[in-house]
This record gives sequence, C-alpha cells and structure tokens, in this order.
Amino acid sequence: MKSATKTRPGGMSLGDNAAKREKLFLYLMLGLSALAFLVPMYWLVSSALKTQAEIFTSTPSFFPWPPRFENLIAVFDQTPLPRAFFNTTLIAVVHVCLTLFLCSLAGMAFARYPQAPGHRWLFAFVLGTMLIPQAVTMIPVFVVLTNLNLINTYWAMILPGSANAFGIFWMRQYIANNVPGDLYDAAAIDGASEFDTYWRVIIPIARPAMGALGVLALINVWNNLMWAFIVLRTENMTTMPLLIYLLQGEERTPYGLIMAAGLVATLPLIIAFLLFQRNFISGLTAGAVKS
Amino acid sequence: MNSPQSSAGPAQAPFGMATRFRRLGVRMWYYRYFYLFISPFFIIFAVFGLYPLLFSLYLSFLSWDGLTEPVWVGLENFRALFQDRLFFISLWNTLILGLLYVPPMLVLAFIFALLLNQPWLKLRAVWRATVFVPVITPAVVVAIVFGLMFGTEFGIFNQIIKSVGGWFGLSPSGVPWLESERWSKPSLAILLVWRWTGYNMVIMLAGLQGIDRSLYEAARIDGASRLQQLLHVTIPHMRPTFVFVTIMSLIGTVYLFDEVFVMTQGGPGISSTTFGLFLFDEAFGNFRFGYASAAAYVVAFVVFILTLLIFRTNRSHNE
Repeated sequence: MKSATKTRPGGMSLGDNAAKREKLFLYLMLGLSALAFLVPMYWLVSSALKTQAEIFTSTPSFFPWPPRFENLIAVFDQTPLPRAFFNTTLIAVVHVCLTLFLCSLAGMAFARYPQAPGHRWLFAFVLGTMLIPQAVTMIPVFVVLTNLNLINTYWAMILPGSANAFGIFWMRQYIANNVPGDLYDAAAIDGASEFDTYWRVIIPIARPAMGALGVLALINVWNNLMWAFIVLRTENMTTMPLLIYLLQGEERTPYGLIMAAGLVATLPLIIAFLLFQRNFISGLTAGAVKS
Repeated sequence: MNSPQSSAGPAQAPFGMATRFRRLGVRMWYYRYFYLFISPFFIIFAVFGLYPLLFSLYLSFLSWDGLTEPVWVGLENFRALFQDRLFFISLWNTLILGLLYVPPMLVLAFIFALLLNQPWLKLRAVWRATVFVPVITPAVVVAIVFGLMFGTEFGIFNQIIKSVGGWFGLSPSGVPWLESERWSKPSLAILLVWRWTGYNMVIMLAGLQGIDRSLYEAARIDGASRLQQLLHVTIPHMRPTFVFVTIMSLIGTVYLFDEVFVMTQGGPGISSTTFGLFLFDEAFGNFRFGYASAAAYVVAFVVFILTLLIFRTNRSHNE
C-alpha cells in the first residue's frame, strides 16, 4: 500500500482509471473512519446542548434542535467550574514553565559541558530514571507532600513530574545537535554571562524542542485525574477533571452539566492543538526517539 | 559533543591522591556552571523521584497506613501478595484487556499511518487532527461520554443494535455493555482503541517518514509489487517503531487508570479491575502503603523484564 501510485518524475502514474478508483476507495475508507472517530466528540457536543430528558430518550436525536444552552449557563452558575478552570489553568501554566525551565537549563548543561567530572555518570543516572513508573513512587510522593504540608495546594499538582528525566534527555539531544560549540564562545566574547547565554542565545534556538516538551507536559497536567483525586481535597482547589468526576454524584448524574463541563475542559486543548499542531505531533513522537 | 570546553579543560595529572583531589576540585570549579545549571533539576528530582523510589522499596517491608507507627514485617507483604486472589485477577484482567485492544489498535494505527503517508493525499492535516483529537481529550470526559453511549437502555450503541441488529442476528434487546461481567472488558477495549489509535498512528507516521525513499525506488526497479514493497521494505524498516509502540502499550496497559476508574470502576464485580485500579485501591482506598508498594515493585520488575525481553528478541532478529 505504501507509495501506491507514486508519480513518476513529471507525470501521473500509469493505469489512470484503476488508480483513480483506488484513491476514491481509500478516501471513502478514510472518511468513514474519521466519522467513527468523531462520533464520541459529536456526542459530547450534542449532549451538552440537550436537556436531561432529551439525553435519555428511546430515540436519541443526532441533531438536538433547538439547541439548549441551559447546561452551559448552568454549569458556570451552579458548579464551581469558573474556579476549577482558573485552578487548572494556573497549575498548567506554572507546571509547564517550571518543567521547561528545569529541563532546558539542565539539558543545555549536559550538552555544553561533556568534559565536566561526573557528566557521564549523572547523565546515565538521568536516563535510568526514565524507566521508573509513576506507580512505584506515588505513595512516597504523597507522603513527602504531606510532610511538606503541600497537600491540597497547587504545588502538589505542580512539583511532582516537573523534574522530568525524559525532558532533560530531549532538550540535551536537541541542543547538542543544533547549537554549534562556537556559539558559546562567541557569546562569552561578547561578555554575556553563562546564564545570559542560556536565556538569550540557547532558549531562542531551542524553542521548537521546548514547544514539543511543553505541549507534552500540558496534556499530562491538564488531564490528570488520578493525582488531583489523591492530593486535592476542597472545592476551591478542584481542577476540571476532578470537577467533572465529582459531578457524577451518587444517585442521579446530571449528564447535561457534565457534558457542558467536559466541553469546557476539552476546548482549550483542542484550540491549542489547532494552533500548535506541529508541536503537538513532535511532542508526542518525542518519546519515539528513545528507541 | 561539540563544546568548546572539550579541549580547553585543565588536563588530569597522574599524581598522588591529595594532588588528584585538588585537581578534581579545580576541574569541578572550572565546570561550576555545569553543576549549578543541573542542580535545580536534581534537587526537585531528589525529593520527588529518587527519595520516593528508595522510600517505596523500604515501605514494601513495612506495614503502614500513613498515620500510625509503621511496623517492620519483613517479606510478609510479598508473601501475602502471592496469595492475594484479587492481585492475580487484576493482572489477568489487565492481560486480557491488553490482548483485546492492543492488536486491533496497532493494526488500525498502521493502516492509518500508511494512508496518511500517501503523497497524493489531500487534507492531510484534517485527517491527522481527526484521529488525534481523542488523544488530547481528558480521559474523564472520554470515559463519561462512552459510559453514556454504552448505556443498556438509552445508549446510542444499543439503539443502533436494536434498530438494525436484527439483520445481523444480534440480540434485539441490545448488549449489556457495562452491566455484565462478560462485556465490561470489550467495552473498555473499544474505548481504548478509539482513544489511543491516533497516538500510535502519529509515531508510526514518523517511522514511515524515516524510511529512505530510495529503497522503494530500488525495489520498484527490481520489479517488486506494492505488496512486496510493503512486506520487504516497509515492515522490516518499521521494526524499531513497532517495538517501541508495543512497549509503550504494554506499560500504558499495566498502569492504566483514569479510563477504568471512571467508566467501570473495575466492575461489574471485579471483571474489569485492572492492576492500576488494584494498586490505587490498596494505596489510597485501604491505605495499605506497605502492601501497595510491594505490589508496585513486583509488577514494575516484571514489566522491566518483559521490556528487556522484547528488546532482546528484536535485536537477535535483526542480526
């Protein structure tokens, strides 16, 4: 299937009709699968625009008409959604910035000073820690946060995971491959301090790699339900995933509200995705460079 | 590798211990910015990575609920773990769930990647975004929407089955997706295929684009059909990518949590209690910190060995 009907230099492939039919067939398959991928998203949006009674009917409508915006209004009014949205945004922004700062600074150091005593040992150590699953460290991290009195604070969501071993590896590779050694010398001759060099010279060059890493960190922190469930305790600290989870309630689930909140939680990432598609893709393929 | 300091650093001299140490000190001072720049990372990492890793190992020999005084119990946690029916059932459920969703997901992802890699394809970004949106949607939202769609009475899947299922010999009352022990795992598998195909597709697409074009050129000159090109050029060159996505899927399945926690809560009964859920329940439901740490270590060790085996078998194939 690969390189099907590859064009020859300067012309269309041979068997024109057969090739056209095949392309049409492939487009059709692609279209149908795309539809299948969109159905749940469509269900999310359409349910948000329905009343509870409309969600639970024996003839579910694909086109809720007239659309009801009650859910979207009610979810802002009756639930702590504005607060949750603010919390999630704040946590995400600080977590992403901190991760980028730690990983790019250390990544640059590893790329720039390969002769420093202990360099190899320390870098091997960082690589080794990429193999540690979160499941193993989750209880002690919880204990540490308890002892530092950080349970039910933003820091409990921000700090763990910001020292991201993969992030260091990723930044080091990028900087080592894209920053010529002379550049550090040139900056030093211009009288830039070491930190200045990092801030004014390296960061602009490393921007694509930081974009990818930032996007990866953003998805992880924005969508994190389990950790929020463990470390956040009060309503004013809740995040979007936690809010949506807790809205489910015990007896009767207000699906209209949940779908509306779900929409609000998903939209920022979708918008970010559409704006930074390239970064998203390289962020998620970033892991693949390991192998 | 291209640092200016590589040759500029002070050379190491073969002198006595004291001199050596002094020299080391000089070199370390010379490279002080290296240590300064990596220290923020290492400080946070020490607190939230290294210490927890060691503390967790220590915990696995304790009985502790996080509040009262911990008690040293030696290997008791491990002994109890190997007699814990729920532990093995959760591993079994994880294995079955993985077998149900990983193969179809990877095959689908590969087909999509091949399609999206066609040079004539138009609207590439649109197709890619469509398959990719599930990956960035919060798991809790996905799980609730699927929960709604899997509803026995009003869910859209059963509505469709009820209206057209008769043609395919399906039960006219629909499938009890989330209400029977038999269907809870397949339902989760459907959700997981939907959610993670895009991620694997993107990685495979990157792998496909890394294959040297001239190889296809050569194959075509040799008269290889497109199927032969797929079998003898594409698939062999995709091997490292396949190994990578397989390992990622293995790890992802073992530690799967959000989707199961929200959609089935491990039920009905314990039919969809996966290892991630078991671990979470032991740690933060029953507050058996020592026991949960032991379970996490044992499984992490098994996963590590499996990962190594996948790497090894792959390497021997290549050589």
